[in-house]
Amino acid sequence: MTEQAIPSPSGGGQGGGLGGYYDYPVVRRPVWTWEVPAYFWLGGMGAGAFVTASLAQTFGSAEDRRIAADGYYLAAGSLLPCAPLLIADLGRSDRFHHMLRIFKPLSPMNLGAWTLTAFTPIAVARAASHAADSGLLRGPLRVLAGLVPRRLTELTGSLLGLTLAGYSGVLLGATNVPLWAKSKLLGGVFMASALSSGSAAVTLQAARRGAPEATLHRLAALESAASLGEMAIVAAYLRQSGRTARPLTTGRFAAPFWLGAVGAGSVLPLLLHRFTRRHHGRTLRSLSTAAALCTIAGSLALRWSIFEAGKDSSEDQAASFDLSKA
Amino acid sequence: MIDGYKRLMNLEEPPAKKTAKGFFTDTSLCIGCKACEVACKQWNQLPADGFAITGKSYDNTGHLGATTWRHVQFIEQAKANGRRQEQRWLMMSDVCKHCANAACLEACPTGALVRTEFDTVYVQQDICNGCGFCVPACPFGVIDRVPKESTFEVGTAHKCTLCYDRLKDDMTPACAKSCPTASIQFGDVEELQVRARERLGELRARGESTARLYGMPEGKEAQEVGPLHAFFLLLDRPAAYNLPEVPRLPRKTMAERYGWSAAVGIGFAMVAALVFRGGRR
Repeated sequence: MTEQAIPSPSGGGQGGGLGGYYDYPVVRRPVWTWEVPAYFWLGGMGAGAFVTASLAQTFGSAEDRRIAADGYYLAAGSLLPCAPLLIADLGRSDRFHHMLRIFKPLSPMNLGAWTLTAFTPIAVARAASHAADSGLLRGPLRVLAGLVPRRLTELTGSLLGLTLAGYSGVLLGATNVPLWAKSKLLGGVFMASALSSGSAAVTLQAARRGAPEATLHRLAALESAASLGEMAIVAAYLRQSGRTARPLTTGRFAAPFWLGAVGAGSVLPLLLHRFTRRHHGRTLRSLSTAAALCTIAGSLALRWSIFEAGKDSSEDQAASFDLSKA
Repeated sequence: MIDGYKRLMNLEEPPAKKTAKGFFTDTSLCIGCKACEVACKQWNQLPADGFAITGKSYDNTGHLGATTWRHVQFIEQAKANGRRQEQRWLMMSDVCKHCANAACLEACPTGALVRTEFDTVYVQQDICNGCGFCVPACPFGVIDRVPKESTFEVGTAHKCTLCYDRLKDDMTPACAKSCPTASIQFGDVEELQVRARERLGELRARGESTARLYGMPEGKEAQEVGPLHAFFLLLDRPAAYNLPEVPRLPRKTMAERYGWSAAVGIGFAMVAALVFRGGRR
């Protein structure tokens, strides 16, 4: 009688010598669906547009201020669908307000719900005051919008916006999903993606509205810096994650991540911006528009691929053991 | 004024604190009968999970979940002893660990997850809004959300309650009550810890050199999540039972994560200020 190797639930695994119970996952698969990355993307872009517009109000020339203030429209427009998306993802959507029955900043989910609740009306109010300034509103609405304290909304809105842009990556990191938790940089990655897509949204609108070339060049410089920063922090994030990043860097999310998030989101806009320096007029506007669209699409690809690959990573037993090793 | 607020908000006084209750699951006594799984399902009226066959072992439950609060693992181990292969079966009834520092409780944005007067972790079903954050927060993969299409407490998070309703009436939780070998022991946590140390000594004296306790205050598994109020006596490394060596508490790294996020935000603001300034004459 020949002896057969008995398939063993422990010892045969790939957990770095820490063979587990068959290949069963250690942690549960996140239950969230597409609404979550969509919300992170839109909320981040809206917050980024608000912050960019507000920085322009404080530091920019009269022309830059006028152009960048359109960012408040983009912010309001991106933020309004966020609460519905967040609510739709709840198991009990009728109980969304339970998030607000306590204030518990220890929970990023609670902090995010409060931030979104506070930031959305501020962004809408600032957009309304911009509409009043540019003559889009008339009558009593204009008087009402004129009452909005601009500097105060810009300051509080920027702080809330930066919180909204950054908490999403911290929230995913504050779990035991290896791809999200192994590196401590995911909050920084999402912040970078939010700010680069937000400033790209401002550029998109500026190019559409026929902004002066000098303004477009400055916005291009800002976006190039944002793209470079984003590439750097994504690289550091991948380096820290090591083998844990495999569900993202290989397999079914490799294409959306490398081609979408990194290629279209950072590398392509950087190349396009290099060309914008030498061009004027329509070519400059087309190049700026193309670069901005790439950045915005790349931002969605980044959130979506890291979110979805994280779900697969939760089933990676070896990565879970690696995360919890002494 | 506080009394008036409490009346207005219909707030109840929390029950007076009692001694901490928990489980000591001695896997060396488990015979894999799954009576605990059945008793748990019956008492808590949890629906069946369907007839899924894993095809790997007698464990067709697979893992804990929203409607499975006890799960018996069947760990088949083979090792070569000369020319013979020796086999052993390790069985373990897994359950929510009711951590002293519970990741699920800290993650919960609604306050649905609370610590009871028995120092256990409990989900208030009328508060939970099914945000799902506790699910990946738990380092043990215990708590889960019921799918929206389920007929059972739709959309909210569930896990072992340590039979909170039975505890309120001075009764033993259903799983411990049904365990025929006293593998699942219920009682005051401190007393159970004493009993566990004695039992470990006994097994070590009999030559069970790989026996160990998992979830005691001095163990490295308690570094972040604290002592487990449902703790275990294991006969092999924790990983053999799919238990993490040092279960991570997300709170411990949160400040650093926010720090990196803030650093990127401040960096962007500084670059933007410089760029826009450059346009001013």
